[in-house]
Amino acid sequence: MALSDPTKLKKVRDFGVSGIAFCVARTPASGQLYFGHSDFKLYEVDALAEKPEPKAFTAAGHESYVTGVALSGKQIVSGAYDGRLIWWNAESKEVVRTVEKAHELWIRRFATSPDGALVASVADDMLAKVWDVESGKLVFTLKDHQTLTPNNYPSMLYAVAFSPDGKWLATGDKTGHIAIWEVATGKKVGELEAPVMYTWDPRQRRHSIGGIRSLAFSHDSQLLAAGGIGTIGNIDHLGGPSRVEVFDWQKGERKHEIEDSKLQGLVEQIEFDPSGKWLLAAGGDHGGFVTFYDVATGKMIHQDKAPMHVHQFAINEDHTEIFAVGHGRIAHFDFKSDRPAPPAAPPLPESA
Amino acid sequence: MTRPGSYFSGSNDHGLSRRGFLGATAAGAATFAADTRLDGFKSEALAAELRKQNKNVILLWLAGGASQFETFDPKPGRPTGGPYRAIPTNATGVHISELLPRIAARMQHTAIIRSLYTKVTDHGGGATLMETGRRPAPGFSYPDIGAVVARELGRIDSQVPDYVSMYTSTEGRRKGTSGFLGARYSPMFLAENMVPENIRRLETISDIDHRDRAALRDVLAKRFNQTHQSSTVASQTTAYHRVRGIMASEKLFDIEQEPEAMRQKYGPLQFGQQCLIARRLIEAGVPFVKVARAWWDSHGQNFETHRELCADLDQAMSALLDDLAERGLLENTLVITLGEFGRTPNINASLGRDHFANAWSCSLSGCGIRGGVAYGRTDEDGHNVADGPVKAGDLFATILSALGIDPESEYYLGSRPLPLADFGSKAVKEVLA
Repeated sequence: MALSDPTKLKKVRDFGVSGIAFCVARTPASGQLYFGHSDFKLYEVDALAEKPEPKAFTAAGHESYVTGVALSGKQIVSGAYDGRLIWWNAESKEVVRTVEKAHELWIRRFATSPDGALVASVADDMLAKVWDVESGKLVFTLKDHQTLTPNNYPSMLYAVAFSPDGKWLATGDKTGHIAIWEVATGKKVGELEAPVMYTWDPRQRRHSIGGIRSLAFSHDSQLLAAGGIGTIGNIDHLGGPSRVEVFDWQKGERKHEIEDSKLQGLVEQIEFDPSGKWLLAAGGDHGGFVTFYDVATGKMIHQDKAPMHVHQFAINEDHTEIFAVGHGRIAHFDFKSDRPAPPAAPPLPESA
Repeated sequence: MTRPGSYFSGSNDHGLSRRGFLGATAAGAATFAADTRLDGFKSEALAAELRKQNKNVILLWLAGGASQFETFDPKPGRPTGGPYRAIPTNATGVHISELLPRIAARMQHTAIIRSLYTKVTDHGGGATLMETGRRPAPGFSYPDIGAVVARELGRIDSQVPDYVSMYTSTEGRRKGTSGFLGARYSPMFLAENMVPENIRRLETISDIDHRDRAALRDVLAKRFNQTHQSSTVASQTTAYHRVRGIMASEKLFDIEQEPEAMRQKYGPLQFGQQCLIARRLIEAGVPFVKVARAWWDSHGQNFETHRELCADLDQAMSALLDDLAERGLLENTLVITLGEFGRTPNINASLGRDHFANAWSCSLSGCGIRGGVAYGRTDEDGHNVADGPVKAGDLFATILSALGIDPESEYYLGSRPLPLADFGSKAVKEVLA
């Protein structure tokens, strides 16, 4: 097992893909990626191959941008702006199951439970739905987010995340409203507000921009981080500070409000370090960024440009590498420590 | 020969007709009116008949430039197409974006032009081009479509404004211009509020005093006119004659006068409310109303922006078409959606679309329009016009033709004839009823 060191962040390689890659899932202990694309297809690629060559799933599938992908065992689940969920056989790439109208409107994002048994989807019908991966059955429909913004425009439900212990699910919408749900019962157990993520321009341009685009629980499930963009002066562009808010969600306390105006844009994904020392935020505007923050202080540890706007990344088991997908490119970053990993702890005596 | 700086449109018999008209009138106001008549007796009769038809225009100005891909020219499944589907309309074979389902259900009223080819991609230049139907020329200040329609369709005896322009957002705000037609055809401009400012009688003046002052001013003007021929005084007289009508028009801007059920159809948003005001205005005889909906300039997050603004447009425009149709007004009211340009086929890294004027769309509904038609065609990715390019002047000519105004009739600026639509423009007959 390798150790992480955010200050060692470097891009190992990147390669081009035509169009836009919106979401990614990774086969454990490999560079094998599955990514959803703006050409309505799913792709497979070995990002560690000498010459990565994405291959499209050829079976008829989605009819709009593929924005969610989850890998569970030998099954892949994908979701798209067409409101459809599709189960694929990861080996044959055949369609196993299709749920038409899983959502009435555009599916924005997926999250997979830590044990791979559940997938949660969020969509612009403002519903979160939890699905059993094995059977394809709908487990819960979670309804809390308002269909209209306070200014009477359609709202959007962008973000969803499971806690690492699998007990909690968080969902976040355009207006900055966050709901936390108990996975076992489907009951709402908390809510938070991050209104700065939503910029409404009442005078110059009379529409809005922003929203919560990413959510992540810390590994002890105590903290919940929300990512998006701060207040924007000119909402024609993504010219606002990337923004992360960190909450002790059970206390309802906001611990950090972090903004970065150097590398601007949306924070599209967040990941906590298992040790609780750092969190990683990635996203972008016309360009992209990968930024580490200290969880205790909220200060930036290290940052680098990404070669594209990052829409999502897959992190390896050691939390020392990410495979990021985005606008026209896929990039592999490494942030392994130079220090050797400590030897694995010996197994406890059976009598203990 | 006309006086330098005067303007009128005319045929070859214009001079004779003008003299005839002058000879038949004596009042100052009528003298001014003669200076601004369109054609001579022959065409004047046509012009009068046209005015009697009470035709109107409501221009829904999509300021900042709406995307044709997310409105009237979807390209689903193409690399440039974006995520939204195309949906069928109630016109056979015509599909538009799924963001406009209510408009799709009313396509029998609407013709889409998908082949605008206007090239100008800066906001100011594009807006000027589309508003006036021609590129600016040194030494000329061309009137915009609102002023032209106000002049051609406005009635001299009208008690309401001829041209009302609403633009409440500040980005890209444009008042509109009457150019060489003069201030008489400038818009009543509402920028800050839904109701015109400064049209109420001052509280310090009683209604009787106000009327007496107007009567005194009238007497003095007539006495002056007996010994002087002044178009300036005539213009002022005409303006003063309209004062009380315009003061009384305040209630037209008050949507509380409408039943709750009607207000709900237009929705709670300002654009919808302004569309309802527009209907009230044209119903009262205002020939041209512009409602600007800013700001569609989606360099970043194009799909989110259009999700919001298309919902706004869809509700407001569909309510407007229904309302006009139910009142029997749609056959005499032309509803236009237009902006300064469209948006790029290429989707940038911020998921935005940039300025683009080589192949974009607008819509025309109602008066003089053959509904259920999609004219022109762009190539499979929307980069170029593949069939039926329409220039700004052609669109201007189409609008005028739909209203029954000859786009080839001319204004004279000094001795220079200027056709209402730019030289060489041709109306798109395929969208005309």
